[in-house]
Amino acid sequence: MAVQVSSQSPGPGAGPAPGAIAKRAETLFGAVGGAVLSLAETAGGMGVLFGRVVARLFPPQIDRNELRRNLYKMAVKSLPIVIVTALFTGAIMVIQAAPLVKRFNAEGLLGWAAGFGTLREIAPLLTALMISGRVGANNTAELGTMVVTEQVDALRALAIDPVTFLILPRFLSIVITLFVMTLYADILALLGAAYTGLALLKVEPVSFYNSVTAGLLGIGDVTNGLVKSVVFGFVIAISSCHFGLATTGGAPGVGRAVNACVVASATGIFLLDYLVSFIVK
Amino acid sequence: MIAIRGLTKSVPIPNASIRERRFILRDVSFSVPSGCLYGLIGPGAAGKSVVLKMIAGLMKPDAGNVVVDGDDVTELSELKLQSVRLKLGMLFQNNALFDYLTVGDNIAFPLRRLYHLPEDEVQSRVLERLACVSLQGFEDRMPSGLSGGQKKRVGVARATVTKAPIVLYDEPAAGLDPVTSQKIFELLREEQRASGATVIMVSSDLDRLLTVTDRVGMMYRGELIFDGSTEEARASDEPRVRQFVHGLTEGPL
Repeated sequence: MAVQVSSQSPGPGAGPAPGAIAKRAETLFGAVGGAVLSLAETAGGMGVLFGRVVARLFPPQIDRNELRRNLYKMAVKSLPIVIVTALFTGAIMVIQAAPLVKRFNAEGLLGWAAGFGTLREIAPLLTALMISGRVGANNTAELGTMVVTEQVDALRALAIDPVTFLILPRFLSIVITLFVMTLYADILALLGAAYTGLALLKVEPVSFYNSVTAGLLGIGDVTNGLVKSVVFGFVIAISSCHFGLATTGGAPGVGRAVNACVVASATGIFLLDYLVSFIVK
Repeated sequence: MIAIRGLTKSVPIPNASIRERRFILRDVSFSVPSGCLYGLIGPGAAGKSVVLKMIAGLMKPDAGNVVVDGDDVTELSELKLQSVRLKLGMLFQNNALFDYLTVGDNIAFPLRRLYHLPEDEVQSRVLERLACVSLQGFEDRMPSGLSGGQKKRVGVARATVTKAPIVLYDEPAAGLDPVTSQKIFELLREEQRASGATVIMVSSDLDRLLTVTDRVGMMYRGELIFDGSTEEARASDEPRVRQFVHGLTEGPL
């Protein structure tokens, strides 16, 4: 029996129907467009929030109680993890340098070897990552919870500006925290390096100190790391506050916001580390 | 005086085309005269809380406006809205207590932040508000240690502590036992009469709400389907209003 084939049916070798191609293209463009819009929304949101924070600094409208409360919560309570991280960072730098120092009998350069990378790179970077994980994530979670439980709306309904009351003290606290913690980390990392040098290489701490201060390392190395710490502080502060305030969708939304904050902060820290290393010599 | 004209708000539908939107308010208009206690009723997700938030300027409508004592809050910037919000007291559906502050500090918060009153006056007003909501001795407790009903009463105390001329209550009696619920309604009514404040109250506790309101509006699926006096609401022939007000199980709702 003969089967009549419709003239509109695709033949055996024909590709997908034009409608299907259009649908796939729409999906692809939709996905790309959605991602671009989302990125633009995040960048724009951070920019606007930063502008609002800066606007509240001229003249300064800082709630001192909130600033003190946040500094205690963010800086003082971060000290233990910064101490541990910094001491071990310094120790690791010496352990890595130890074989070469022994091979070339370069004990006199141990301070420089450990200090150069620590002061310029490792101390600010690791401190920023630790503070991002502890303080930034916590800040996002707190703000996000305040948003989904309408506490931020309650502040607005009470005629209190949430940027002045909530964001500005947190922003300043994070930047100050990171700067001060990096300074501590520099000192503690060198301390850790010095005593690891004594234990592994029998380099006296005085010799270590002399090699740090002999002239190979300068104030520029310390400043370089501290400039980075301020830049990283801005990144963590703006990222954690933005994602906290942009939280939607109840408790799962708070989890998503914290995740987005940690990823964005880490990415921003590495990106700006590269740029600052390139610009500030 | 609060005048609401043509409020419309829509939101995108998740996982749908960008053009597809769901209306949460559709052309809502009503007025609340000064000194009136207005009850806003309706089933869940009707848009009642959204209307309250728009009156406080916490949400912007897509169309329409809200005029509070001559100021169109839909047109004002966030900073200019603060002068309008100083006239407002607001209780949120979820209470929105600041969870890092004690009960006393929550109630004292607007007095300290906005009015900078002497501390002894702040304390006396906090204790007076706590006594009104039957929570004497709770001033040092944290909100996390309170039951839902206690949190609600702290929210009521905070909303009324500034004696604002306009007060918005979103479910002031939710989670309360019948006796406390009746007490709260009577307290709010007495205070409204004494102060002459303009009050809008959203509540699902119709039996008690309708004993204290001067006027009632009913919302259904984002639309205002009734606006009239409490007596007119009770006598309404509109099938949805009749079913809701009389709690009938048979009907269009």
